[in-house]
Formats: sequence, C-alpha cells, structure tokens
Amino acid sequence: MSTIRVSGLRVRHRRTVALDAVDLDLGPGVHGLLGPNGAGKTSLIRVLATVAQASAGRVEILGEDVGEPARRGAVRARLGYLPQEFGYYPGFTVREFVAYVAWLKDMTAADVPAAVELALHRVGLGDRADAKVKTLSGGMVRRLGIAQAIVNEPEILLLDEPTAGLDPEQRVEFRALLRELGVRATVLVSTHLVEDVAAACTEVTLLDAGRVAYRGTPASLSAVGEATGPDGIGDSGIERGYTAALRAHRTPVEPTR
Amino acid sequence: MSPRRRALTGIGLYARSRGLPLALALLAGVCALVVAAAHRTDGAYAAPGWWASVVVLGPLSAAALIGASLYAPSDELDRTAVRPWWPRRLVHLLALSALACVPLALTGSGEGSASVTAALVRNLLGCVGVTAASAVLVGARLSWLPALCCVGAVHLASSEVRGWAVGVWGWPTRPGQEAGAWLAADVVFVLGAALHAARGPRPEGPRA
Repeated sequence: MSTIRVSGLRVRHRRTVALDAVDLDLGPGVHGLLGPNGAGKTSLIRVLATVAQASAGRVEILGEDVGEPARRGAVRARLGYLPQEFGYYPGFTVREFVAYVAWLKDMTAADVPAAVELALHRVGLGDRADAKVKTLSGGMVRRLGIAQAIVNEPEILLLDEPTAGLDPEQRVEFRALLRELGVRATVLVSTHLVEDVAAACTEVTLLDAGRVAYRGTPASLSAVGEATGPDGIGDSGIERGYTAALRAHRTPVEPTR
Repeated sequence: MSPRRRALTGIGLYARSRGLPLALALLAGVCALVVAAAHRTDGAYAAPGWWASVVVLGPLSAAALIGASLYAPSDELDRTAVRPWWPRRLVHLLALSALACVPLALTGSGEGSASVTAALVRNLLGCVGVTAASAVLVGARLSWLPALCCVGAVHLASSEVRGWAVGVWGWPTRPGQEAGAWLAADVVFVLGAALHAARGPRPEGPRA
C-alpha cells in the first residue's frame, strides 16, 4: 500500500534543476534517502513536506494530491517534518516549542500536554522539558526537532539529516525509535550516514543529480557493493554499494553500433 | 486550568513566538513618547523640524516595531501549519495597528491638536502599510529600512514642491486634514496589509 506516490517530479531553483523526472512509491516502513551533496534529497523532502512547490509532476500523499492547496491541510495534520535546520523561538522552553508545533498541527488542546510529554520522553528529553531551548546542546536541539516531528503521531514522517549532531549512543537509540515508528508510519530519512540506513531502514533510495540512481533494500545495495569485488570503494558492504551504484548511474551508456 | 496547561495555549504560544509581549511594551513606550511630544506642539507647529520629528518619526518607529514582530524564526516549520496563515497574519497586523492608533488618536488637546492627531494616525497607517510590504520583499527584521528610506525620501523631496500631486505622494509630510494624503496612506496600508496577509514575510532562514 503506497502512502506516498511521486510521478514525474521536477523541482527547479531558479536556473538549477534540483529534481528531474523522479518517480517514487513509498509505503509504511523506514526508507533511507541517500545521495551526495546537491543530489536533491532536501528538495524532495521539502516538496513532500508541502513547504516547497514542484515545477512539474504529481505528488500524492495519503491519497491527497498536494499540488492542490485545499488538500494540503488534511495532509499536514498527519505529517511530521524535521527540516535540516529549523530556527527555534529563543524564549520558549522545550515543552513550549513542541506544544507550539502541536498547535500548528491543529491538535486538540486537551490532547497537547500528554502528546508533548510522550514525544519528549521518546527522544529522551523528558527531564529537560522546562529548560529553555537556547540552553540545549546541538544534539539536544536535534532531538527536540525529532520530538516536534512526532508530536502528532504522524502517518508520514520526513526527517532531513536527523542524526547530525547526535553522539553514537543517541544514534543507536534513534535507530530503535525509527524502527518503532516505521511499524505503522511511512518514515523517509535523508542522511549521509549509510550505516544508519543499513541499521534502521527497510528500503533505500539513492539520488544523484536530481534523479533516482538506485532503489532497493540495504541488503541489495550491499550486494551491489560486494559484486564490485576488491576494487570497490568503502569500508563496509553498503558503502561499497553506495559508491558502485553512484558510479554506475554516472557512467554514460555506450551507444550501440 | 493549571499554569502548565495555560502556558500551552496556542494563541499564547503564537504571541510569544513573535515576541509580542516585548513588542507591545515597546509600542506603548513609543506611543507615550509621541503623545507627550505631540502635546508640546500645541501652539501650532512652532518649529517645522519638531513637527516632522513627532508626526513622521513617531509613527515610523511604531510601524518598525510592528514590522519586526512579523518575524518568525522557525518559518520552515510554520509553513507546515494545518490552517491557512493569512487570517492570523491579518489579525496580527490589524490588532497591533489598532493598539498603536488608539493612544495616537486620543492625543492631546489645544489649538492645532486635531491636525496633529489626524496626521499621526494617518502616518501610522501609511508607515505600517510600507513596513508590511517591506516584510514581504526583504524580510521582517529589515522591514523598517525601506519604510525609513521611503518616508525620508518623501520628506526631503516634498519640502520645496508645490501642486496638488504632492498632497498625494507626499502624504507623510502633509497636514492632517488633507484628503489626498489620507487617501494615499490608506491605499498604502490596505495594499501592504493585503500583500503581507497573502504572502507572509520573506523567509530569512537558511532556505530563504
């Protein structure tokens, strides 16, 4: 069952084409989004989060065409989004910031306090709920970002570089949270850390230069790496698969004579 | 309702996210200064520079504070709001404009005060319109700058000009009863407020 359907997606930033002819079908589970800098990962996540517009193509989320402004509200209520960088309101406490996002999501006022406590508990910030956001470390701010993204128990969760700034123990805990969320939600995680994908994702999509370069499972991507033999670049199977898939996508097809 | 529950009220969080308590305090201070200064103009514009500083700079300062309050540090998350933003933006701008207008409209008594009061209110509306439009074009935090440049340029350019047209484009510097200046300021206010409500302030984050 597909919860996200993307067909012929094209996104332009002035003269630069960020995404071109992207087709994707994603269902419940944890999906890793890999690719080099500038591949279009953030552009794809922002279009799916309904904060950026597609230049062409169709994006359907939870059965709603988000190209129609009137349909976006219903999708946003069931969607969680962690941007790569989110500014925070300096005067807010941790609890207030998450409650503010719950308000943006139009959650019932009576449900907000319990939802906020649960979200903070899940990311390990329960004991810092009354601390000012400006006093948090970088890793804690990232966890706060994850908390705001899951406060409404989203059916679609879009995370852009969620593990940046987390220490190894926090990353391991975060992967467990991802697996837990992926049981009922469609989770799309953009990351540079292929080991996070190998550990937590059920599917992987590799973007390069705005196009889908590879789709499969972490195991199949590792198999691509193993097939390259000793010439492969990378310290693990999935790293070798990542570089091999990128190189295969970049290699021009020889014209047949 | 417990203090914790009250603190999590949506409207309250919105007000604090925009720094409205501080903006309101500063706005009250500016209005108090303007009202006090306007009283000293009783006796009808003894010094032209004094008149300009009260009737032009006072509303301009209040409009700058209103413009700065439109800034949203977490614009990327705000854009995922379920409800449309335009009604909130419009209410925000109109409420602060009305709150600033009230003390100015109740300014003083004495000879010439009606003209000063009318000019203060008119200039506040016009300056808020310019500031709101500037927030859409250059971002809320810098929205005071185009307004300052615009009003300053009009002030300099209109001082030696005669004719009916200057009564329209020179609206910040005209006496309070001139219909053309009122019409121009009102149009600027309506256009600025509508543009801001429809588009919102220009994003100032990393994705701007």
